[in-house]
Amino acid sequence: MATTTMVGARERLRRPPWLHGYSTMTRWELTGLRLELPLIVGVEIMTGVGFVLGLGLFFHHMPAPVGLYVSTGVVVLNLTLVGLIVGPQFVADQKLAGTYDYLRALPVPVTSAAAAWYTVTLIAGLPAAVIALVVAELRYGIAFTVTPSIVPAILLTVFTGTMLGYALSHAVSNPMTTRLIAQLLVFFVMGFSPILYPASRQPEWLAALNGWLPFEHMATIVRAGLTTGIVTEGIARSYAIVAIWGVVGTVLAGRALRRRA
Amino acid sequence: MSAAARTVHAPPVVESGVAHWFRSFGLMMRFDAGRAREWAAMMAIVQVFMGAGMAITYGFFYPVVTPTIALYIVTGTPTLALIPLGLVMVPIGVSQQKVERTFDFIWSLPAPRSAQAASTFVLWTALAIPGMVVAVAIAAWRYGVALTVSPSIVPAVLLSALMAISVGFGMALAISSPVVVNLITNTLIFVVLLFTPIVFPISQLPSWMATVHHLLPFYAMAQIVRAGLTTGIVTNVAWWYLVVIVWTVFGWGLTAWVVARRG
Repeated sequence: MATTTMVGARERLRRPPWLHGYSTMTRWELTGLRLELPLIVGVEIMTGVGFVLGLGLFFHHMPAPVGLYVSTGVVVLNLTLVGLIVGPQFVADQKLAGTYDYLRALPVPVTSAAAAWYTVTLIAGLPAAVIALVVAELRYGIAFTVTPSIVPAILLTVFTGTMLGYALSHAVSNPMTTRLIAQLLVFFVMGFSPILYPASRQPEWLAALNGWLPFEHMATIVRAGLTTGIVTEGIARSYAIVAIWGVVGTVLAGRALRRRA
Repeated sequence: MSAAARTVHAPPVVESGVAHWFRSFGLMMRFDAGRAREWAAMMAIVQVFMGAGMAITYGFFYPVVTPTIALYIVTGTPTLALIPLGLVMVPIGVSQQKVERTFDFIWSLPAPRSAQAASTFVLWTALAIPGMVVAVAIAAWRYGVALTVSPSIVPAVLLSALMAISVGFGMALAISSPVVVNLITNTLIFVVLLFTPIVFPISQLPSWMATVHHLLPFYAMAQIVRAGLTTGIVTNVAWWYLVVIVWTVFGWGLTAWVVARRG
């Protein structure tokens, strides 16, 4: 017993507490989700492939620009689904089940727990995004031009989606409210955000509103990393808006987590 | 004391007959309607959101919304508003009753279970209509489509609602685990709403998929509703009515089978 404690203590001394917390929490989250994760990845793949194939049926012959828009937009849906929509519902479940306070009491820095969750959302979303792109390429013969800028685009999109979801999970205290907002968000993001289609097709007021929200800009930066010649201007602005929303989410979640800690 | 004991031990009078069935049905309607006051408004709002919201969203996917595309979307809206109600909200309602343990209580009430099920079908069908009408009105306004409403819209909508509710109810009853029901309904709704020619012509589907939709209830339901809102688009209406009726009876059969099995 004493030996175990000693070994544990030595282990902790060797690694900085933040990194230790990060690796422990990543393992904790992955182990906790070992039953749900395959299901989540399955739903992710179904969503991605479903949109890519399903929207093709809306046309006699899918026009190439439509196919390109849809398949690059689906990547954003895949990348944000877990962090923004599924995660908050899990936290709502934890609050209802009473395990939330226990998890909050774990001796781990708040930021390393958040970074661990970010890693998990990345793991959950990426395979489906890649599969959706491959299916689009096979089905519609779309040739994607992947550039190195796809890496920061994906990392930032997942970061902002996950941090907004984190704020929704922790800054909104009532789990039922969290659940309701998550449901409305999925509806808004999939249908009323110009992710799968250009903003020019929306009424002006809705397009203007979306200009200030992060979702359209996530699609812009991801699309810029997967294609050439479609997204030509406003890329820097889009990066800035997505990043600002990521910071907003982080600050809101951080304040809520520290206040109650 | 002895008189009271005799009363307690007297064999219960089992009522039966047509009059008793209708009396039970009326009482169950009142009972169900009373409980529905809590959630009926919320349900209509969700329905409007789903129906009108999807109708508007589908339009965004087309570079140019031609009058034909607009007509298909608007006349598909009633179906878009009815399918989630029958296939998602009804099963969720039943699951919730099972989790809250009110389900067994209701079945223990001294009314024929067929009257209880009939009451559920009638009430939900009636509640499905307002949200659906509002959703269609919003879609028609958004796309500027003038509909040619014929009297056949009444049986079409009532039958479609009844079918969706019957199948949803039968499924929720037949599958005992609420988690499995939840999973099936969510998958079903996604597949149905993306891969069923509700808001676009069936000629756009690969032929094998079109064949499958000749037997499934969703396209059939869209067809009979569309026939009541347009002229000259839908052919072979009798077949589509038949498909919807067969699925309604299937929903009832499933319900009856579960009811009989539980005794």
